[in-house]
Amino acid sequence: MEEFFEQARKILAEQLGMDPELITWDTTFEEIDADSIDIVEMLMALEDIYDVEFPEDNLEDYKTMGSLIKALYQVISAK
Amino acid sequence: MRIAVDAMGGDYAPQEIVKGCVKAADLLSDVELILVGDREVLEEELRRCGWAGRGIRIHHASQVIEMNEHPALALRKKKDSSIMVATMLVKAGEAEAVVSCGNTGAQMAAALFAWGCFDGIDRPAIGTLIPRYNGYTVMLDVGANVDVKAEQLVQFALMGSAYARTALGVENPRVGLLSNGEEETKGNQVTLAAYARLKDLNGLNFVGNVEGRDLFTGRADVVVCDGFVGNTILKVMEGLIGELMKRLQDAGIDSRELLQDFDYTRIGGAPLLGVKGVSVVCHGSSRAEAVYNGIAQAVRCVNQDMVASLNHSLAAVG
Repeated sequence: MEEFFEQARKILAEQLGMDPELITWDTTFEEIDADSIDIVEMLMALEDIYDVEFPEDNLEDYKTMGSLIKALYQVISAK
Repeated sequence: MRIAVDAMGGDYAPQEIVKGCVKAADLLSDVELILVGDREVLEEELRRCGWAGRGIRIHHASQVIEMNEHPALALRKKKDSSIMVATMLVKAGEAEAVVSCGNTGAQMAAALFAWGCFDGIDRPAIGTLIPRYNGYTVMLDVGANVDVKAEQLVQFALMGSAYARTALGVENPRVGLLSNGEEETKGNQVTLAAYARLKDLNGLNFVGNVEGRDLFTGRADVVVCDGFVGNTILKVMEGLIGELMKRLQDAGIDSRELLQDFDYTRIGGAPLLGVKGVSVVCHGSSRAEAVYNGIAQAVRCVNQDMVASLNHSLAAVG
């Protein structure tokens, strides 16, 4: 899961033009000014890399990078 | 030329959208309209409008993104939404442009996800032409991005400059940053940071801060602001012009012709700038006449080869 997190935060950091090290498991999307478009773009990039389709439900419920990545990792693990 | 029209988006969809399309099919030559939405509903509307049977076909889409939905998340959930399907038709080469009166955020996100932005552009902006004495001022963003970062305002400045060259033929457009005063020290945190970056930007004719009134003074060819402010200005203008017309009418003066340039129904729509395709954003309250003019706007953007010109111009400046 660490590797997956690393990949995700690298993508998001590049989109936001910031240092990936500043994004931790506990970082909230609000803290780093990541809006829903940034989150969906990150998801789409991860879907391409891992060749999966993440479920569409309740994305808005995930407030931190860690909580979203844990949920997405379950999809990849189940593949 | 084929134009995909999101027939389900807007306060008066699908009736007024279909009526506007029927008018466009009658009046615009060499244009085929692809109505995107619920086939049964659209067939019924076409029948009701007395459609002559040419220039329009229907492409079925089973879902609609409502005005109050969260754009990016709704697009993920509703892959068969009319706006997403219409945008994908352009990606597939089946249409040259999209027109929508629906959820602006969803229209922007659909274009962003399906087509992507030009290099160096994070988010598209809506650029509109504000009529002024003897010309026009490009104003952007007028509603795609309500919260922006300073870097995005810099990108809007570059896009606005490129659009002024393309749409107005201005060789070296003067670009102003909308603020609450002309001095460099005026503005909120975002505009102050944007100013600092813009003044040192090579290849851009930045003229400093401009004020709201400068939309009409000609001090700048391009006025840059965030989508929250830009949209608010448009709506204030809409209300003010309506008020003026009423007062003039009361005084026995018919001002319709005089003020027609400011009538959004005649302008129709404004293009999303920065994405690799033509997507014309229309007022959510558009009725048939505005829809017709929005389609005409899309035709102009395609005929001007706006996307390629913008890309070329951005590459030259950026």
